[in-house]
Amino acid sequence: MTETTTTPDAAERARLVRSTRRFDLRRLLGGLFLLYGIICTILGIVHGSSDLKQTGGIAINLWAGIGMIVLALLFFLWDRLAPVPEEDILGNLDREADEKAAGEGKQLG
Amino acid sequence: MTTTALAGAADISIRLDLSWVDYLMLIVYFGVVISIGFIARSRVRTSMDFFLSGRSMPAWITGLAFVSANLGATEILGMAANGAQIGVATLHYYLVGAVPAMVFLGLVMMPFYYGSKVRSIPEFMLRRFGKAPHAVNSFAFAISNVLIAGINLYAMAIVIEAMLGWPEWVAIVVSAAFVLVYITLGGLSSAIYNEVMQFFVIIAGLVPLTIVGLHRVGGWGGLKDAFAKTDSVKHLSAWAGTGIGNVTNPIGANWLAIVLGLGFVLGFGYWTTNFTEVQRAFSAKNMSAARRTPLVAAFPKLFIPFIVVVPGLIGAAVLGNQLAGTSDATHLSYNDVIPKLIQMYLPEGVLGVAVTGLLASFMAGMAANVSSFNTVFTYDIWQRYIKPKMSDQHYLRVGRYVTIIGVLIGIATAFIAAGAGNIMTYMQTLFSFFNAPLFAVFILGLLWKRMSPAAALWSYLAGIAAPTIVWIAYLNDPSLFATGTAETLYGAIISFVTVLVVGVIVTMFTKPKDVSELKGLVYGVGKIDMSMDAVVGDTAWYRSPVLLGTVALILCVVLYLPFV
Repeated sequence: MTETTTTPDAAERARLVRSTRRFDLRRLLGGLFLLYGIICTILGIVHGSSDLKQTGGIAINLWAGIGMIVLALLFFLWDRLAPVPEEDILGNLDREADEKAAGEGKQLG
Repeated sequence: MTTTALAGAADISIRLDLSWVDYLMLIVYFGVVISIGFIARSRVRTSMDFFLSGRSMPAWITGLAFVSANLGATEILGMAANGAQIGVATLHYYLVGAVPAMVFLGLVMMPFYYGSKVRSIPEFMLRRFGKAPHAVNSFAFAISNVLIAGINLYAMAIVIEAMLGWPEWVAIVVSAAFVLVYITLGGLSSAIYNEVMQFFVIIAGLVPLTIVGLHRVGGWGGLKDAFAKTDSVKHLSAWAGTGIGNVTNPIGANWLAIVLGLGFVLGFGYWTTNFTEVQRAFSAKNMSAARRTPLVAAFPKLFIPFIVVVPGLIGAAVLGNQLAGTSDATHLSYNDVIPKLIQMYLPEGVLGVAVTGLLASFMAGMAANVSSFNTVFTYDIWQRYIKPKMSDQHYLRVGRYVTIIGVLIGIATAFIAAGAGNIMTYMQTLFSFFNAPLFAVFILGLLWKRMSPAAALWSYLAGIAAPTIVWIAYLNDPSLFATGTAETLYGAIISFVTVLVVGVIVTMFTKPKDVSELKGLVYGVGKIDMSMDAVVGDTAWYRSPVLLGTVALILCVVLYLPFV
């Protein structure tokens, strides 16, 4: 395995780990559903009676809103309990030379 | 407001009355989509990052993207339409046509794909059989995929126009622009992250629709009663009228043709050799995650019919005589069932979520086509035949330009489709003939080390030609098959058999590849490292591919039981 010429230093690595985790997909999903959940819950409270008329008696915005808030919290919890392993983030960095070789088609005949 | 003006024709309009809150949800979603593009971009350093996410994704993300890449809005609206038209027999498309193939991909084929480190499906063709079949496969895939992207774009524009009132050209240009921006920025990672997000949003939209719909028809019992009164199609039994020699079901094929044609040939062909799907698994971080990708996907796939086909059934029960094959002055098309139910049942709020989910899935479908097209074009055509031996940065740059060109061709195709809809339907059918023969070539080549490169080329071409001929015959004489779907099923079976026959015969007279070149590409030749790049935790019992696959197959049978 060839060593890359630009092996990033420790500070650079720590920064990469932080930035990768900050934008973890689960946080984005959590954020999106938290917002949607809050919007639907508020509408469910404000429009209570007109909603019921359209749905035939189910407070759908309220239920969907609460459901989405719970989903959002589960995403945040999952992200907290199982953050992306450091070696997954950094492993990718160390493989740059291999990746370039693969991209140039050198592993293939 | 237009509501009053439309009141007279309100029965067949699917125009939705979105409030500013619903639009806010839509805008927030697409804001996140573009942000994901920028986040993914910061991690693209090599062409492998751009085309295959640097082979770094965990299985839950690739798995959900795998199922989501197929969960385009055309699929959702189409399967709901099938639900309305032919009833729970639509389950065949999931339980026979998809899940077994996904299990087969994960358990049997993925070790060959991922283990050989190929970067695309055509590249597997190259390793196993050499240049001639590779060239045919690459061009067929690239051309068909970019045109399909355009056809999807047009299909999307029609629905957006009907639901939101945007002119078709605005819908085409705006959607294509979003796809262009986020794929060019972040490549496959962008596509995959957005597919996962779209997966959850479309579910968040369809679950409330199903709940309210079921409530409105009086629950499952009410649905049964509604069909008991009027039903000529037997909406609630999946296998009725499929006896050999006694075909009275709406698909027009017996059970053997359904299992072999839909399940084995079409299903296996689509899910195991269509690079748009398989690419998601190629981006997984190791062998274990790659194998689990289609298996993780199989579980949502098992349950999606409950929020897609069930609304179709509800539509059939509630809208009954308003539905017809195509929409006209007094009828809705079957494809309009979901938008119509959304209009009838969802109030402001959940309405915004459902519309966002539909638009997102339209775009995700197109993005999946574009992100597999640019990979095959760059690695299999440009690098192999036009400019080999350039630096990795060159291929990364080419990938971005090709993405732009691909989207532009897609837009042009969409505008042509708008002018000549029939030609596009024909082309779409034609492209569906590409998967079945490819699967037949691969399965023969995987099992039989003697199969020669010449046999692969000629059997592949014959396997494309045979169903095309059958199909042209059917267009000239529609009495040959009961329905278009039946024609597709039998055409796929004919294609498969043609490949086997031509492949075996040509192999007899031509030179096979040297066995030393086939290590890891043919069953029983060389060994595949199943623990490639394994990490701690891959061996947890619930991550066992065999266990996941078995459970998925058992569920396939169990889910049919209520509908025999």
